[in-house]
Amino acid sequence: MGDDHISKDRAEEHAVKEYRSGMPATPPSGPYEESAERASRTLWGDAWGRLRRNRLALVALGWLVIVAIAAVSADAWVPRVFGSPIRIDTVRAMRDRLQNPSFAHPLGTDDLGRDIFARVVYGSRISLSVGILAVMVSVVIGLILGSLSGYYSGFVDTLIMRVADVFLAFPYILFAILLLSVLPKSQRGIVPVFLTIGVLGWPSIARVFRSSILSVKENDYIDAGRALGASDLRLMMRHIMPNAIAPIVVYATMSVGGAILTEAALSFLGLGIAPPTPSWGRMIEDGRVYLTSNPGLVFWPGLAILSTVLAFTLLGDGIRDALDVKLKD
Amino acid sequence: MTEGLLKVDGLKMYFHTRDGVVKAVDGVSYSLDRGETLGVVGESGSGKSVTALTMMRLIPMPPGKVEGGDVLFKGESLLAMKEDDVRHIRGNRIAMIFQDPMTSLNPVYRIGHQIAEPLMIHKGMSRREAWSRGLELLDLVGIPNPSQRARDYPHQFSGGMRQRAMIAMALACDPDILIADEPTTALDVTIQAQILELMVELQAKTGSAIILITHDLGVVADMADRILVMYAGRPVEYGAAETVFYTPLHPYTWGLLDSLPRYDIEDKGELCPIDGQPPSLIDVPSGCAFHPRCPHARDRCRVETPVLREVASGHHSACHFSDDPSFRRENVACRVGGA
Repeated sequence: MGDDHISKDRAEEHAVKEYRSGMPATPPSGPYEESAERASRTLWGDAWGRLRRNRLALVALGWLVIVAIAAVSADAWVPRVFGSPIRIDTVRAMRDRLQNPSFAHPLGTDDLGRDIFARVVYGSRISLSVGILAVMVSVVIGLILGSLSGYYSGFVDTLIMRVADVFLAFPYILFAILLLSVLPKSQRGIVPVFLTIGVLGWPSIARVFRSSILSVKENDYIDAGRALGASDLRLMMRHIMPNAIAPIVVYATMSVGGAILTEAALSFLGLGIAPPTPSWGRMIEDGRVYLTSNPGLVFWPGLAILSTVLAFTLLGDGIRDALDVKLKD
Repeated sequence: MTEGLLKVDGLKMYFHTRDGVVKAVDGVSYSLDRGETLGVVGESGSGKSVTALTMMRLIPMPPGKVEGGDVLFKGESLLAMKEDDVRHIRGNRIAMIFQDPMTSLNPVYRIGHQIAEPLMIHKGMSRREAWSRGLELLDLVGIPNPSQRARDYPHQFSGGMRQRAMIAMALACDPDILIADEPTTALDVTIQAQILELMVELQAKTGSAIILITHDLGVVADMADRILVMYAGRPVEYGAAETVFYTPLHPYTWGLLDSLPRYDIEDKGELCPIDGQPPSLIDVPSGCAFHPRCPHARDRCRVETPVLREVASGHHSACHFSDDPSFRRENVACRVGGA
């Protein structure tokens, strides 16, 4: 899991770099005479325009949309076409066991006769929901603590940042294992998994957001806002937040990939989602024994993890570039 | 003197830093009445802006600390007021225009929204009411086609237009006092004149008082009724604009005037700037803070701190020798350009 940490730090660096490169402070001003008729463009509208020209990011986005559609619509077609990805019965386990890819089972079947494609599709539900929910938990905690820390410097800042340091100093995966192993196996649904990953992920978000706030806070328009009589809450929510949020969008997108990886790792270790619910990490663990005879059991869920995590990273990268006004045109 | 609109009385604002105590504002007093314009002049770091920010309670404390004096707005102390009450005065009764219009507008909101904001905060207007009032204000400050331009973002405005928008924001709630902190420094010369003209024009309409902070004597000459010259956080000369200009009393004011190119006199000698640098405010020179740079300094200046006192009617100076009628600008030649 060392790799996971490295990629996390890199993403964090990215996000900060993205910000430093001077996101919204002084956008170039064009000649204003002709602009009266021109449609106003927002920062996000601009960013979308630039993202649309980034082919790699678009492919990533397209892939994620396909995965998401498959995950959401799975109940409507997968069981009917490929059979239940979960149900285990003796007949099926005997008859369909470890089949090679065929027309009926495009990716073959596993050791219990279940269709691998169906299980990969259902696995995407777990991976996507755990990934997204975990990051949402991190973002909510991280934004609240990061904004408190950045806005009120001094004691509050020190306290929150030292707690964050403690969290970051803790071996991430060990902490997750510890939290999850306390639960009895029967209760291991998706909720404890994403809560654990989410709670462990907040310090990085808080740090990125704090540094972003610290630099936005120095801007004259914050002083101007205060001089207009805006309250602390208003300054924070309406003036600082919208200007400081961009790095978080980038970082959160990349973190979804990380959270999916962590879920896979936990499931692989037998601490994630309890079987028979299909999860990509769990499928790799289950197929491990057949690695030499039926490598498809490991390969397909592995490819699913790889492509999805990569897509989130590329999309995050694309968003970072799109939000960077200096790379404009 | 009657109870003025604003009365600053012996205000002292010190910053406690690791390197020592920075005496940014060290005993500043002035008063301001409705419809009046006060020009505050001085070099960078002379405490002009800090005085204004202290008044608005916009200085973070710590490190800042008010060491003495008071600011009375309509007879009420701004420094003793509760934060919530001060917030109600900021942008409402006392508004501020900042130096750099390029960075003083929030890049993520439309101009119209930003002008509407103080109206929503202070006047309890709905978004719609505030927006349409904002359009009137944009029109007032001379932005053509306001209903369209209000939908623009700040980066679509030029510098001069942004400063106009800032003025519209500041005037939104019809403030009693408008503090303009170097409102034209960041603008082109041609735009500067327009902005100043606009301020004079709007003052005539609204009757608000203006505190104009600048290091440009030309700017105050046109606009101010009274002038306060500051040096090293202290006031050195204070009086009606004409008297400060035509019969300045303090050698520092002479220096400022001599540093300006003149095109109204025949004999064009060299300019004579003030030698040296403004002092560090941590380690202000003893006696008169200006003595190390003053060509007329004597022993007394090094030891005794001069106080600001009324020399002629309504004309104050903080120089030991201002009482001597022969110690005047026309009698002491400027060293470089003079005879």
